[in-house]
Amino acid sequence: MTRTMADDRRPLDASWLHRQRRHFRLWRRFLGQAVVRETHYRAHFATTLLVGLVELGLGVVPILLLFGFAQEVQGWSRAEVITLVGVYQIVTGLMAAFVAPNLQRMTSYITEGELDGVLLRPVSSQFYLTLRWINVAELSNVASGIAVLVIGLVQSGASPNAAQVLQAFVLAACGLVLLATVWSALAFLAFWLQSVGPIAYIYLNLVEAGRYPLAFFPVAVRAFLTFAFPVAFASTYPAQALAGDLGWTPVAGGVALVVVAVTLVRLLWRRGLRTYASASS
Amino acid sequence: MSTVVRNLRVLRRMTAAQIVGASIYRGAWTIFMVANICVPIISLLIWRTAIANGARLPIDERYVTTYFVLLSFVTMATSSWMTGFLAEYIRLGRLSSWMVRPASVLLSFVANNLSEKVLKLIALVPMIGVLWWIFRDSMNIPAGPGRWTVFAVSIVLGAILVFTIDLLIGSLAFWMDDVTALAQARLIIASVLSGAVVPLALMPDWSRGFIDNQPFRFTVSFPVEIVAGNLSGQELLVGLGIQAGYVVVLGILARLVWSAGLRAYSAVGA
Repeated sequence: MTRTMADDRRPLDASWLHRQRRHFRLWRRFLGQAVVRETHYRAHFATTLLVGLVELGLGVVPILLLFGFAQEVQGWSRAEVITLVGVYQIVTGLMAAFVAPNLQRMTSYITEGELDGVLLRPVSSQFYLTLRWINVAELSNVASGIAVLVIGLVQSGASPNAAQVLQAFVLAACGLVLLATVWSALAFLAFWLQSVGPIAYIYLNLVEAGRYPLAFFPVAVRAFLTFAFPVAFASTYPAQALAGDLGWTPVAGGVALVVVAVTLVRLLWRRGLRTYASASS
Repeated sequence: MSTVVRNLRVLRRMTAAQIVGASIYRGAWTIFMVANICVPIISLLIWRTAIANGARLPIDERYVTTYFVLLSFVTMATSSWMTGFLAEYIRLGRLSSWMVRPASVLLSFVANNLSEKVLKLIALVPMIGVLWWIFRDSMNIPAGPGRWTVFAVSIVLGAILVFTIDLLIGSLAFWMDDVTALAQARLIIASVLSGAVVPLALMPDWSRGFIDNQPFRFTVSFPVEIVAGNLSGQELLVGLGIQAGYVVVLGILARLVWSAGLRAYSAVGA
Protein backbone atom coordinates (compact mmCIF):
# COMPACT_ATOMS: atom_id res chain seq x y z
CA MET A 1 0.00 0.00 0.00
CA THR A 2 1.38 3.44 -0.92
CA ARG A 3 1.40 6.16 1.66
CA THR A 4 0.69 9.71 0.58
CA MET A 5 1.03 13.10 2.24
CA ALA A 6 -2.73 13.09 2.79
CA ASP A 7 -2.53 10.11 5.15
CA ASP A 8 -2.65 10.60 8.86
CA ARG A 9 0.81 10.79 10.36
CA ARG A 10 2.20 10.71 13.82
CA PRO A 11 2.42 14.33 15.04
CA LEU A 12 5.96 15.76 15.17
CA ASP A 13 5.66 16.49 18.88
CA ALA A 14 4.02 14.19 21.37
CA SER A 15 3.20 17.05 23.75
CA TRP A 16 3.49 20.77 24.30
CA LEU A 17 6.64 20.18 26.34
CA HIS A 18 8.25 18.15 23.57
CA ARG A 19 7.54 20.99 21.20
CA GLN A 20 9.30 23.52 23.45
CA ARG A 21 12.25 21.16 23.89
CA ARG A 22 12.55 20.65 20.14
CA HIS A 23 12.58 24.42 19.59
CA PHE A 24 15.21 24.86 22.28
CA ARG A 25 17.41 22.21 20.64
CA LEU A 26 16.96 24.02 17.34
CA TRP A 27 17.96 27.32 18.92
CA ARG A 28 21.12 25.69 20.29
CA ARG A 29 21.98 24.66 16.71
CA PHE A 30 21.45 28.27 15.56
CA LEU A 31 23.84 29.40 18.29
CA GLY A 32 26.45 26.79 17.40
CA GLN A 33 26.27 27.76 13.75
CA ALA A 34 26.56 31.47 14.61
CA VAL A 35 29.69 30.81 16.68
CA VAL A 36 31.29 28.90 13.82
CA ARG A 37 30.37 31.68 11.39
CA GLU A 38 31.84 34.31 13.69
CA THR A 39 35.22 32.55 13.75
CA HIS A 40 35.42 33.17 10.00
CA TYR A 41 35.00 36.90 10.43
CA ARG A 42 37.42 37.79 13.17
CA ALA A 43 37.80 41.39 11.97
CA HIS A 44 34.04 41.81 12.38
CA PHE A 45 34.35 40.59 15.96
CA ALA A 46 37.19 43.02 16.71
CA THR A 47 35.33 45.97 15.12
CA THR A 48 32.11 45.21 17.01
CA LEU A 49 34.06 44.91 20.26
CA LEU A 50 35.87 48.22 19.70
CA VAL A 51 32.78 50.13 18.55
CA GLY A 52 30.82 48.70 21.50
CA LEU A 53 33.43 49.86 23.99
CA VAL A 54 33.61 53.36 22.50
CA GLU A 55 29.81 53.64 22.44
CA LEU A 56 29.64 52.50 26.05
CA GLY A 57 32.23 55.13 27.00
CA LEU A 58 30.28 57.78 25.10
CA GLY A 59 27.04 56.75 26.74
CA VAL A 60 28.61 57.37 30.14
CA VAL A 61 29.90 60.85 29.20
CA PRO A 62 26.60 62.70 29.86
CA ILE A 63 26.24 60.93 33.22
CA LEU A 64 29.79 61.74 34.32
CA LEU A 65 29.31 65.36 33.25
CA LEU A 66 25.92 65.56 34.97
CA PHE A 67 27.28 64.30 38.27
CA GLY A 68 30.16 66.76 37.99
CA PHE A 69 27.53 69.45 38.65
CA ALA A 70 25.43 67.66 41.27
CA GLN A 71 26.01 65.09 44.03
CA GLU A 72 22.61 63.54 43.69
CA VAL A 73 19.72 63.85 41.24
CA GLN A 74 16.21 62.72 42.27
CA GLY A 75 17.72 60.45 44.92
CA TRP A 76 20.17 58.76 42.56
CA SER A 77 23.94 58.95 43.15
CA ARG A 78 26.53 58.64 40.40
CA ALA A 79 27.48 55.08 41.41
CA GLU A 80 23.83 53.97 41.32
CA VAL A 81 23.37 55.40 37.83
CA ILE A 82 26.55 53.58 36.72
CA THR A 83 25.05 50.32 38.04
CA LEU A 84 21.94 51.12 36.00
CA VAL A 85 24.02 51.73 32.86
CA GLY A 86 25.61 48.30 33.40
CA VAL A 87 22.21 46.59 33.50
CA TYR A 88 21.07 48.59 30.45
CA GLN A 89 24.20 47.57 28.55
CA ILE A 90 23.67 43.88 29.38
CA VAL A 91 20.01 43.85 28.28
CA THR A 92 20.57 45.88 25.10
CA GLY A 93 23.62 43.73 24.32
CA LEU A 94 21.46 40.59 24.54
CA MET A 95 18.85 42.25 22.33
CA ALA A 96 21.49 43.16 19.76
CA ALA A 97 22.91 39.62 19.83
CA PHE A 98 19.74 37.52 19.70
CA VAL A 99 16.79 39.60 18.50
CA ALA A 100 17.96 42.59 16.45
CA PRO A 101 19.59 40.58 13.60
CA ASN A 102 16.19 38.98 12.97
CA LEU A 103 13.81 41.89 13.24
CA GLN A 104 16.04 43.96 10.98
CA ARG A 105 15.35 41.39 8.25
CA MET A 106 11.58 41.56 8.59
CA THR A 107 11.13 43.80 5.55
CA SER A 108 12.94 41.40 3.26
CA TYR A 109 11.18 38.37 4.75
CA ILE A 110 7.87 39.85 3.73
CA THR A 111 8.57 41.89 0.61
CA GLU A 112 10.88 39.31 -0.98
CA GLY A 113 8.57 36.44 -0.06
CA GLU A 114 11.26 34.66 2.00
CA LEU A 115 8.55 34.02 4.56
CA ASP A 116 7.14 31.35 2.19
CA GLY A 117 10.18 29.19 2.86
CA VAL A 118 9.79 29.62 6.61
CA LEU A 119 6.08 28.74 6.65
CA LEU A 120 6.81 25.40 5.00
CA ARG A 121 9.20 24.31 7.75
CA PRO A 122 8.15 22.15 10.67
CA VAL A 123 8.84 24.94 13.14
CA SER A 124 6.92 27.79 14.75
CA SER A 125 7.32 30.53 12.16
CA GLN A 126 7.21 33.32 14.74
CA PHE A 127 10.00 31.62 16.71
CA TYR A 128 12.05 31.23 13.54
CA LEU A 129 11.58 34.82 12.41
CA THR A 130 12.41 36.27 15.82
CA LEU A 131 15.37 34.11 16.87
CA ARG A 132 16.94 32.47 13.79
CA TRP A 133 19.97 34.76 13.41
CA ILE A 134 22.46 35.47 16.17
CA ASN A 135 25.21 38.09 16.18
CA VAL A 136 27.75 36.52 18.54
CA ALA A 137 30.09 39.54 18.48
CA GLU A 138 27.47 41.64 20.29
CA LEU A 139 27.94 39.43 23.35
CA SER A 140 31.14 41.39 23.98
CA ASN A 141 28.84 44.28 24.95
CA VAL A 142 27.18 42.03 27.51
CA ALA A 143 30.62 41.33 28.98
CA SER A 144 31.46 45.05 29.18
CA GLY A 145 28.02 45.63 30.71
CA ILE A 146 28.79 43.15 33.48
CA ALA A 147 32.08 44.96 34.13
CA VAL A 148 30.27 48.32 34.40
CA LEU A 149 27.64 46.78 36.67
CA VAL A 150 30.32 45.47 39.03
CA ILE A 151 32.11 48.85 39.06
CA GLY A 152 28.81 50.56 39.90
CA LEU A 153 28.00 48.12 42.70
CA VAL A 154 31.48 48.43 44.25
CA GLN A 155 31.40 52.25 44.06
CA SER A 156 27.94 52.52 45.58
CA GLY A 157 28.87 50.05 48.33
CA ALA A 158 25.70 48.06 47.68
CA SER A 159 25.67 44.48 48.91
CA PRO A 160 22.49 42.91 47.54
CA ASN A 161 21.35 39.66 49.16
CA ALA A 162 20.23 36.60 47.22
CA ALA A 163 16.57 37.68 47.08
CA GLN A 164 17.50 41.09 45.69
CA VAL A 165 19.77 39.55 43.06
CA LEU A 166 16.92 37.24 42.08
CA GLN A 167 14.53 40.22 41.85
CA ALA A 168 17.01 42.09 39.63
CA PHE A 169 17.52 39.03 37.44
CA VAL A 170 13.79 38.42 36.95
CA LEU A 171 13.15 42.11 36.27
CA ALA A 172 15.96 42.31 33.71
CA ALA A 173 14.65 39.14 32.03
CA CYS A 174 11.19 40.77 31.90
CA GLY A 175 12.80 43.87 30.43
CA LEU A 176 14.50 41.81 27.74
CA VAL A 177 11.29 39.99 26.79
CA LEU A 178 9.24 43.19 26.88
CA LEU A 179 11.67 45.07 24.64
CA ALA A 180 11.73 42.10 22.28
CA THR A 181 7.93 42.01 22.10
CA VAL A 182 7.65 45.76 21.53
CA TRP A 183 10.19 45.65 18.73
CA SER A 184 8.54 42.50 17.31
CA ALA A 185 5.18 44.27 17.31
CA LEU A 186 6.74 47.21 15.45
CA ALA A 187 8.47 44.87 13.00
CA PHE A 188 5.32 42.80 12.38
CA LEU A 189 3.66 45.98 11.12
CA ALA A 190 5.54 45.02 7.95
CA PHE A 191 2.54 42.82 7.11
CA TRP A 192 0.54 45.99 6.55
CA LEU A 193 3.22 48.61 5.80
CA GLN A 194 5.57 46.48 3.63
CA SER A 195 8.71 48.38 4.63
CA VAL A 196 9.58 48.68 8.33
CA GLY A 197 13.31 49.41 7.98
CA PRO A 198 12.99 52.96 9.42
CA ILE A 199 10.87 51.72 12.35
CA ALA A 200 13.97 50.03 13.78
CA TYR A 201 15.46 53.52 14.16
CA ILE A 202 12.56 54.61 16.32
CA TYR A 203 13.16 51.62 18.59
CA LEU A 204 16.93 52.19 18.70
CA ASN A 205 16.54 55.88 19.56
CA LEU A 206 13.75 55.46 22.10
CA VAL A 207 15.63 52.73 23.95
CA GLU A 208 18.34 55.30 24.77
CA ALA A 209 15.97 56.61 27.45
CA GLY A 210 16.92 53.48 29.42
CA ARG A 211 20.36 54.92 30.12
CA TYR A 212 18.79 57.16 32.77
CA PRO A 213 16.70 56.39 35.85
CA LEU A 214 12.95 56.68 35.38
CA ALA A 215 12.89 59.34 38.11
CA PHE A 216 14.79 61.71 35.79
CA PHE A 217 11.73 62.05 33.56
CA PRO A 218 8.40 63.86 34.00
CA VAL A 219 5.55 61.68 35.30
CA ALA A 220 3.81 61.23 31.93
CA VAL A 221 7.05 60.09 30.32
CA ARG A 222 7.65 57.64 33.21
CA ALA A 223 4.29 56.00 32.54
CA PHE A 224 5.18 55.74 28.85
CA LEU A 225 8.58 54.19 29.61
CA THR A 226 7.02 51.66 31.99
CA PHE A 227 3.90 50.48 30.17
CA ALA A 228 4.06 51.50 26.50
CA PHE A 229 7.78 51.25 25.80
CA PRO A 230 8.84 49.29 28.90
CA VAL A 231 12.56 50.07 28.92
CA ALA A 232 12.26 50.80 32.67
CA PHE A 233 12.28 47.03 33.28
CA ALA A 234 15.56 46.76 31.41
CA SER A 235 17.41 49.28 33.58
CA THR A 236 15.73 51.29 36.35
CA TYR A 237 13.90 48.47 38.16
CA PRO A 238 16.76 45.92 38.21
CA ALA A 239 19.15 48.65 39.39
CA GLN A 240 16.72 49.61 42.18
CA ALA A 241 16.37 45.95 43.15
CA LEU A 242 20.16 45.66 43.47
CA ALA A 243 20.22 48.80 45.63
CA GLY A 244 17.66 47.06 47.83
CA ASP A 245 14.80 49.55 47.60
CA LEU A 246 12.31 47.48 45.67
CA GLY A 247 9.79 44.91 46.86
CA TRP A 248 8.32 41.92 45.05
CA THR A 249 5.35 43.96 43.74
CA PRO A 250 7.19 45.39 40.70
CA VAL A 251 8.53 41.90 39.96
CA ALA A 252 5.00 40.53 39.88
CA GLY A 253 3.95 43.52 37.79
CA GLY A 254 6.76 42.85 35.33
CA VAL A 255 5.81 39.19 34.95
CA ALA A 256 2.15 40.13 34.45
CA LEU A 257 3.14 42.69 31.84
CA VAL A 258 5.21 40.05 30.04
CA VAL A 259 2.21 37.70 29.88
CA VAL A 260 0.01 40.46 28.44
CA ALA A 261 2.65 41.63 25.97
CA VAL A 262 3.51 38.14 24.71
CA THR A 263 -0.19 37.33 24.24
CA LEU A 264 -0.78 40.56 22.33
CA VAL A 265 2.22 40.11 20.05
CA ARG A 266 1.17 36.51 19.38
CA LEU A 267 -2.30 37.75 18.33
CA LEU A 268 -0.74 40.44 16.16
CA TRP A 269 1.45 37.83 14.48
CA ARG A 270 -1.57 35.61 13.71
CA ARG A 271 -3.54 38.57 12.33
CA GLY A 272 -0.55 39.57 10.22
CA LEU A 273 0.01 36.07 8.90
CA ARG A 274 -3.59 35.96 7.69
CA THR A 275 -3.00 39.06 5.55
CA TYR A 276 0.21 37.64 4.08
CA ALA A 277 -0.25 36.80 0.43
CA SER A 278 3.33 35.87 -0.54
CA ALA A 279 5.49 38.00 -2.78
CA SER A 280 7.19 35.50 -5.03
CA SER A 281 4.80 32.85 -6.26
CA MET B 1 28.36 79.49 -21.08
CA SER B 2 30.55 79.50 -18.01
CA THR B 3 31.16 76.25 -16.16
CA VAL B 4 29.66 77.53 -12.93
CA VAL B 5 26.35 78.50 -14.52
CA ARG B 6 26.17 75.20 -16.39
CA ASN B 7 26.91 73.21 -13.21
CA LEU B 8 24.26 75.16 -11.30
CA ARG B 9 21.70 74.36 -13.98
CA VAL B 10 22.63 70.67 -13.86
CA LEU B 11 22.43 70.76 -10.06
CA ARG B 12 18.98 72.36 -10.17
CA ARG B 13 17.68 69.73 -12.59
CA MET B 14 19.21 66.84 -10.63
CA THR B 15 17.87 68.15 -7.32
CA ALA B 16 14.36 68.52 -8.73
CA ALA B 17 14.49 65.01 -10.18
CA GLN B 18 15.77 63.53 -6.93
CA ILE B 19 13.07 65.29 -4.90
CA VAL B 20 10.46 63.61 -7.07
CA GLY B 21 12.21 60.27 -6.67
CA ALA B 22 12.76 60.52 -2.94
CA SER B 23 9.24 61.75 -2.18
CA ILE B 24 8.03 58.20 -2.87
CA TYR B 25 9.58 57.38 0.52
CA ARG B 26 7.89 60.27 2.36
CA GLY B 27 6.56 57.91 5.03
CA ALA B 28 10.09 56.67 5.69
CA TRP B 29 11.46 60.24 5.99
CA THR B 30 8.79 61.08 8.54
CA ILE B 31 9.61 58.00 10.62
CA PHE B 32 13.35 58.80 10.39
CA MET B 33 12.70 62.30 11.70
CA VAL B 34 10.55 61.01 14.57
CA ALA B 35 13.48 58.75 15.50
CA ASN B 36 15.96 61.63 15.12
CA ILE B 37 14.13 63.84 17.55
CA CYS B 38 13.94 61.18 20.31
CA VAL B 39 17.45 61.50 21.76
CA PRO B 40 17.46 65.35 21.90
CA ILE B 41 14.11 65.18 23.74
CA ILE B 42 15.53 62.62 26.21
CA SER B 43 18.59 64.85 26.82
CA LEU B 44 16.36 67.91 27.19
CA LEU B 45 14.27 66.25 29.90
CA ILE B 46 17.34 64.90 31.74
CA TRP B 47 19.16 68.23 31.90
CA ARG B 48 16.02 70.12 32.91
CA THR B 49 15.56 67.65 35.76
CA ALA B 50 19.19 68.18 36.79
CA ILE B 51 18.67 71.95 36.88
CA ALA B 52 15.40 71.60 38.80
CA ASN B 53 17.30 69.45 41.33
CA GLY B 54 19.77 72.24 41.96
CA ALA B 55 22.66 71.13 39.74
CA ARG B 56 24.87 74.20 39.29
CA LEU B 57 25.45 74.24 35.53
CA PRO B 58 27.42 76.96 33.75
CA ILE B 59 24.33 77.48 31.54
CA ASP B 60 20.74 78.19 32.53
CA GLU B 61 17.47 76.42 31.82
CA ARG B 62 16.65 78.66 28.85
CA TYR B 63 19.95 77.83 27.16
CA VAL B 64 19.49 74.08 27.71
CA THR B 65 15.90 74.11 26.43
CA THR B 66 16.58 76.20 23.33
CA TYR B 67 19.71 74.14 22.64
CA PHE B 68 17.97 70.75 22.58
CA VAL B 69 14.84 71.98 20.80
CA LEU B 70 16.97 73.31 17.92
CA LEU B 71 19.56 70.52 18.02
CA SER B 72 17.83 67.94 15.81
CA PHE B 73 17.04 70.64 13.23
CA VAL B 74 20.64 71.84 12.97
CA THR B 75 22.09 68.31 13.06
CA MET B 76 19.86 67.35 10.16
CA ALA B 77 20.40 70.57 8.21
CA THR B 78 24.20 70.22 8.33
CA SER B 79 24.34 66.43 7.93
CA SER B 80 25.86 64.44 5.09
CA TRP B 81 25.72 60.69 4.45
CA MET B 82 27.94 60.45 1.41
CA THR B 83 31.05 58.64 2.72
CA GLY B 84 29.79 55.07 2.41
CA PHE B 85 28.18 55.63 -0.99
CA LEU B 86 31.19 57.48 -2.41
CA ALA B 87 33.55 54.75 -1.20
CA GLU B 88 31.31 52.16 -2.86
CA TYR B 89 31.28 54.11 -6.16
CA ILE B 90 35.08 54.13 -6.09
CA ARG B 91 35.57 50.54 -4.99
CA LEU B 92 33.06 48.93 -7.34
CA GLY B 93 33.99 51.11 -10.30
CA ARG B 94 30.64 52.83 -10.57
CA LEU B 95 32.61 56.08 -10.72
CA SER B 96 33.77 55.18 -14.25
CA SER B 97 30.44 55.94 -15.89
CA TRP B 98 30.38 59.35 -14.19
CA MET B 99 33.82 60.24 -15.53
CA VAL B 100 32.56 60.32 -19.10
CA ARG B 101 29.57 62.50 -18.21
CA PRO B 102 29.63 66.28 -18.50
CA ALA B 103 29.14 66.78 -14.74
CA SER B 104 31.00 65.60 -11.67
CA VAL B 105 29.68 62.72 -9.59
CA LEU B 106 30.02 65.04 -6.61
CA LEU B 107 27.30 67.23 -8.10
CA SER B 108 24.91 64.27 -7.93
CA PHE B 109 25.83 63.79 -4.27
CA VAL B 110 25.11 67.47 -3.61
CA ALA B 111 21.76 67.08 -5.38
CA ASN B 112 20.98 63.99 -3.29
CA ASN B 113 21.91 65.86 -0.12
CA LEU B 114 19.74 68.89 -0.95
CA SER B 115 16.73 66.88 -2.11
CA GLU B 116 16.61 64.61 0.93
CA LYS B 117 17.02 67.60 3.22
CA VAL B 118 14.04 69.34 1.63
CA LEU B 119 11.85 66.32 2.37
CA LYS B 120 13.27 65.78 5.85
CA LEU B 121 12.68 69.47 6.64
CA ILE B 122 9.03 69.16 5.68
CA ALA B 123 8.72 66.28 8.16
CA LEU B 124 10.89 67.72 10.91
CA VAL B 125 9.83 71.37 11.12
CA PRO B 126 6.27 70.69 12.38
CA MET B 127 7.68 68.41 15.12
CA ILE B 128 10.16 71.08 16.20
CA GLY B 129 7.27 73.53 16.16
CA VAL B 130 5.26 71.40 18.58
CA LEU B 131 8.29 70.97 20.84
CA TRP B 132 8.92 74.72 20.73
CA TRP B 133 5.30 75.41 21.65
CA ILE B 134 5.43 72.99 24.62
CA PHE B 135 8.55 74.68 25.99
CA ARG B 136 7.70 78.20 24.74
CA ASP B 137 8.09 79.73 28.21
CA SER B 138 11.73 78.76 28.51
CA MET B 139 12.98 79.35 24.97
CA ASN B 140 15.55 81.99 24.10
CA ILE B 141 14.27 83.87 21.08
CA PRO B 142 16.70 86.44 19.69
CA ALA B 143 15.09 89.75 18.83
CA GLY B 144 15.45 91.11 15.32
CA PRO B 145 16.43 89.40 12.08
CA GLY B 146 20.19 89.91 12.62
CA ARG B 147 20.89 86.80 14.69
CA TRP B 148 18.59 84.64 12.55
CA THR B 149 20.50 85.69 9.42
CA VAL B 150 23.80 84.78 11.04
CA PHE B 151 22.20 81.50 12.18
CA ALA B 152 21.20 80.71 8.59
CA VAL B 153 24.65 81.61 7.20
CA SER B 154 26.31 79.50 9.85
CA ILE B 155 24.11 76.49 9.03
CA VAL B 156 25.05 76.75 5.36
CA LEU B 157 28.75 76.94 6.27
CA GLY B 158 28.31 74.02 8.68
CA ALA B 159 26.64 71.93 5.97
CA ILE B 160 29.51 72.64 3.56
CA LEU B 161 32.00 71.72 6.29
CA VAL B 162 30.34 68.34 7.02
CA PHE B 163 30.08 67.58 3.31
CA THR B 164 33.79 68.37 2.88
CA ILE B 165 34.80 66.08 5.77
CA ASP B 166 32.63 63.34 4.22
CA LEU B 167 34.34 63.87 0.87
CA LEU B 168 37.79 63.69 2.48
CA ILE B 169 37.07 60.38 4.22
CA GLY B 170 35.18 58.87 1.26
CA SER B 171 38.07 59.80 -1.07
CA LEU B 172 40.43 57.64 0.95
CA ALA B 173 38.69 54.71 -0.77
CA PHE B 174 40.93 55.51 -3.75
CA TRP B 175 43.80 54.05 -1.72
CA MET B 176 42.11 51.94 0.99
CA ASP B 177 39.94 48.86 0.49
CA ASP B 178 37.55 49.58 3.31
CA VAL B 179 36.82 52.95 4.88
CA THR B 180 33.81 51.73 6.92
CA ALA B 181 35.70 51.55 10.21
CA LEU B 182 37.19 55.01 9.62
CA ALA B 183 33.77 56.46 8.79
CA GLN B 184 32.30 54.87 11.92
CA ALA B 185 35.11 56.24 14.10
CA ARG B 186 34.57 59.70 12.65
CA LEU B 187 30.82 59.54 13.37
CA ILE B 188 31.42 58.57 16.98
CA ILE B 189 34.06 61.28 17.54
CA ALA B 190 31.89 63.86 15.80
CA SER B 191 28.83 63.06 17.89
CA VAL B 192 30.66 64.17 21.03
CA LEU B 193 32.86 66.96 19.66
CA SER B 194 30.03 68.57 17.65
CA GLY B 195 27.82 68.98 20.70
CA ALA B 196 25.19 66.53 19.43
CA VAL B 197 25.29 64.52 22.68
CA VAL B 198 25.97 67.14 25.34
CA PRO B 199 26.17 70.94 24.89
CA LEU B 200 29.85 71.83 24.57
CA ALA B 201 29.31 74.51 27.23
CA LEU B 202 29.06 71.66 29.77
CA MET B 203 32.48 70.20 28.88
CA PRO B 204 35.07 70.47 31.68
CA ASP B 205 37.20 73.61 31.99
CA TRP B 206 40.51 71.90 31.18
CA SER B 207 39.20 71.03 27.70
CA ARG B 208 37.94 74.57 26.89
CA GLY B 209 40.67 75.76 24.53
CA PHE B 210 40.51 72.59 22.45
CA ILE B 211 36.71 72.16 22.51
CA ASP B 212 36.01 75.74 21.43
CA ASN B 213 38.32 75.71 18.44
CA GLN B 214 38.15 72.19 16.98
CA PRO B 215 36.33 71.87 13.62
CA PHE B 216 33.44 69.69 14.80
CA ARG B 217 32.10 72.49 17.02
CA PHE B 218 31.37 74.43 13.85
CA THR B 219 29.31 71.61 12.31
CA VAL B 220 26.49 71.66 14.91
CA SER B 221 27.16 73.42 18.19
CA PHE B 222 28.14 76.85 16.87
CA PRO B 223 24.97 77.48 14.83
CA VAL B 224 22.83 76.39 17.80
CA GLU B 225 24.85 78.60 20.17
CA ILE B 226 24.05 81.61 17.98
CA VAL B 227 20.38 81.31 18.91
CA ALA B 228 20.51 79.56 22.30
CA GLY B 229 23.54 81.20 23.87
CA ASN B 230 24.70 84.63 24.71
CA LEU B 231 27.61 84.96 22.31
CA SER B 232 28.76 88.58 22.18
CA GLY B 233 29.00 90.35 18.84
CA GLN B 234 32.74 89.83 18.83
CA GLU B 235 32.53 86.10 19.67
CA LEU B 236 30.02 85.77 16.85
CA LEU B 237 32.36 87.37 14.32
CA VAL B 238 35.38 85.37 15.48
CA GLY B 239 33.30 82.16 15.38
CA LEU B 240 32.07 82.83 11.85
CA GLY B 241 35.64 83.64 10.85
CA ILE B 242 36.96 80.34 12.22
CA GLN B 243 34.07 78.46 10.61
CA ALA B 244 34.73 80.05 7.22
CA GLY B 245 38.45 79.34 7.71
CA TYR B 246 37.78 75.62 8.28
CA VAL B 247 35.54 75.54 5.21
CA VAL B 248 38.28 77.05 3.03
CA VAL B 249 41.16 74.96 4.43
CA LEU B 250 39.32 71.63 4.42
CA GLY B 251 37.77 72.52 1.05
CA ILE B 252 41.22 72.99 -0.52
CA LEU B 253 42.47 69.80 1.13
CA ALA B 254 39.46 67.79 -0.11
CA ARG B 255 39.92 69.22 -3.60
CA LEU B 256 43.60 68.14 -3.63
CA VAL B 257 42.86 64.65 -2.27
CA TRP B 258 39.96 64.17 -4.68
CA SER B 259 41.97 65.12 -7.78
CA ALA B 260 44.95 63.06 -6.65
CA GLY B 261 42.55 60.16 -6.14
CA LEU B 262 41.00 60.55 -9.59
CA ARG B 263 44.49 60.37 -11.11
CA ALA B 264 45.26 57.23 -9.09
CA TYR B 265 41.88 55.66 -9.95
CA SER B 266 41.94 52.38 -11.81
CA ALA B 267 38.58 50.79 -11.32
CA VAL B 268 37.28 47.31 -11.56
CA GLY B 269 36.11 46.99 -15.15
CA ALA B 270 37.67 50.29 -16.23
